[in-house]
Amino acid sequence: MARIAQALLKRLGGMAIVLALVVTVVFIIVRVTPGDPAAVMLGSDATPADIAQLRTKMGLDAPLLMQYGQFVLGILQGDLGQSIFLNQPVTTALAARAEPTFFLTLFSILIAVGIALPVGILSAVKRGTVFDQIVVTLTMVAASVPSFWLGLILIQVFAVGQGWFPASGYGGPETPFLERLHHLVLPAVALGVVNSALITRFTRAAMLDVLGDDYVRTARAKGAGEGRVILKHALKNAMIPIITVIGLSVAMLVAGAVVTETVFGLPGVGNLVVSAVLRRDYPVIQGALLVVAAIYVLINFIVDMLYILVDPRVRL
Amino acid sequence: MKKSALVLMTLAALAGTSSLALAQASDGILTVATIGEPPTLDVMQTATDIVLTIDQHIFETLYTYDAEWKSVPLLAAGMPKISEDGLTYTIPLREGVTFHDGSTFDAKDVTASLKRWMAVNSKGKQVSGIVESLTEEGDHAVVFKLKSRYAPLLATLSQASVIMPSEKIADTLTEFVGTGPYALKERKPDQYTQLVRFDGYKSPEGAPSNYAGKREAIAKEIRFVPVPDANTRVEGLISGQFDYADSLPVSAFERVEKSGNAKPVIFRDAGWASMNMNMKEGLLVKKELRQAVQVALNPNDMMMAAFSDDRFFSVDASIFPEGSFWHTEAGVARYGDGNPEEAAKLLEAGGYDGTPIRLLTSRQYEFHYKIGEVAKAYLEAAGFKVDLQVVDWATLTTRRADSKAWDIFITHSNFPGDPTTINTITDTYPGWYVSDQKAKAVATYMDATTDDAKKAAWDGIQTVIYDDAPLYKVGNFNAVSGVANGVSGYEPTYWPHFWNVTPKK
Repeated sequence: MARIAQALLKRLGGMAIVLALVVTVVFIIVRVTPGDPAAVMLGSDATPADIAQLRTKMGLDAPLLMQYGQFVLGILQGDLGQSIFLNQPVTTALAARAEPTFFLTLFSILIAVGIALPVGILSAVKRGTVFDQIVVTLTMVAASVPSFWLGLILIQVFAVGQGWFPASGYGGPETPFLERLHHLVLPAVALGVVNSALITRFTRAAMLDVLGDDYVRTARAKGAGEGRVILKHALKNAMIPIITVIGLSVAMLVAGAVVTETVFGLPGVGNLVVSAVLRRDYPVIQGALLVVAAIYVLINFIVDMLYILVDPRVRL
Repeated sequence: MKKSALVLMTLAALAGTSSLALAQASDGILTVATIGEPPTLDVMQTATDIVLTIDQHIFETLYTYDAEWKSVPLLAAGMPKISEDGLTYTIPLREGVTFHDGSTFDAKDVTASLKRWMAVNSKGKQVSGIVESLTEEGDHAVVFKLKSRYAPLLATLSQASVIMPSEKIADTLTEFVGTGPYALKERKPDQYTQLVRFDGYKSPEGAPSNYAGKREAIAKEIRFVPVPDANTRVEGLISGQFDYADSLPVSAFERVEKSGNAKPVIFRDAGWASMNMNMKEGLLVKKELRQAVQVALNPNDMMMAAFSDDRFFSVDASIFPEGSFWHTEAGVARYGDGNPEEAAKLLEAGGYDGTPIRLLTSRQYEFHYKIGEVAKAYLEAAGFKVDLQVVDWATLTTRRADSKAWDIFITHSNFPGDPTTINTITDTYPGWYVSDQKAKAVATYMDATTDDAKKAAWDGIQTVIYDDAPLYKVGNFNAVSGVANGVSGYEPTYWPHFWNVTPKK
């Protein structure tokens, strides 16, 4: 037990180092990237004097080390700073945009896993058949399709053509929760289908690895039904690589949401990051990327914990 | 069987909620898809197009632009009484106008608002330099006393110089209260800005003309929704989600036209594209080389590459387009089919040593990039070496502020109400166009108090601009937007407005 606690602490320490690196790298990148939030904010009519005045007001003319120190100090106090453009704390801006991104990621991963697990398992079981070949071909195509392109096609077919779903946005004022979720169907399908390709291929490969193993043959020899052999004996042992790829997919979905949210006009964290980069809203870029990195690290941590649940032989 | 039935039921339920949303949208609400989120609603601080578009429904100025882009009264009760020496402007104010918070509009609000405008706005700061005093004359008039004559005064009082209640004025605005036909109800950044009809609105009189004349808030609500992706704006318009979609790509014109659900709208001469040259440092300090650039280029090919079809642009050497009060051929030179031989002679006369021209452009505005590509080909044909630097817009605006970093940058502007507010004419605008003959021509303009005198002075300024060659005017472009079928009364303007517009039934 003490060993597990020690291993957990070690892992948490590693996470803290990763996040500290992210904080520093992001701070440096946004500062060395050309572009000035004051110039963007004031528009093309602004004179150099106006820009300089606004830079002073925003604290952008302070020495970089001082800005970095303030940023780190703020993080330690749970304060990610103040958005230059939104005139509100970065944490408030992120919280306001968390809902669409959270549900988009959740629906996407449900769609991806919902497609990938059964199809991947079936494809492995029916290896070499027409079904298997179709799955292999389709997953290759799906993995090559950019989610924004698929998004535009879905908009044309299901929003414009059929009128079943809205083309963009997350609803207006007083839009009920279910209606807001309705706006997420097309973007979730666009993200989920593309991500299902990778998970399907991993599931198929992992299942093929274990289906030929001795214990599967033994289970069959003992008279276990085919369903029990596949789901209890084979799938359980194939789960480690599948969990890994699902974990990676969740992390990739958070990143993929940046493009998809822009295409579908969703007011999520991804959209916020894109707007912040275009406007050079430094605090928002830093805060949002830190949160995304933290989620990424957390997902990896959860995946590691799941390994233990699935296979007690795994050590941290 | 059960599973497929469940899937169908789920899809039907989701589709049902969509129909409900569309039905709500037609109940007196106009949903407007804009190109992005406004950085702020404080138009004095940030007078960009998206802020001006939304804010003009909330706030009003003393004057506004009519169809000829002349300044006519809005919150002012009439044109100003100007003293004989041209230094005192007495502006009468309309009575009975109220703000959205119920307070009454009077001279105190005007002086307080305009003092803030002169402190924070770029154009306002220019005005503050020539204003000796701004005072109230009773409750219904204000008086500007100027240090010197200033012809663009009314034009500058027609844009970002909005009037708000004196009690609401602060360094950082927290409440956005105006006298406009719509009041701000809620703003959720990146989601929507919701305006509701102001029932106490008092409209100016007269037939609608551009931004002037009668304003009627017909729709009970306007929702500005930021949709940065142009294709999504197109699809949202066609699917019926939006009643109006701003700035559509010209390639979508046919698709919208043939959709049967919406119609494309062309707003002619929405703006002009230009190549601004660096007169402070680098190669193009030499006038011969700037003129060589002008001679080398072919505006028609650049605009065709940028806008694909001549329905969407026009090539015109006059800085202001045909139909504008300021249109003139005065001084036009070196604007033609691209003449490499003539350009080569000017290169030689200017002692060109083969140093590459650093041409800055951005893909954020795709037409800037395409203009840059064609310009590069023409300049190289004339003997220039060209270093085409493609960066994002934020980088470009930073880099162009450094006179050591570039020779030409590509940009675009709208046609302002007053010609001397064109950025390039300002000494401090990147390019740093400083010349004695320009200063003299601008001074003549500033002294003018009648339209005829101003027009003659502007002829002089355009002549000087062509001689000094601080920029190359590429051409005028039209803007394409889309309006859903069933929406009526929409008249295209540079900053689209939605008073006098009737939503779908």
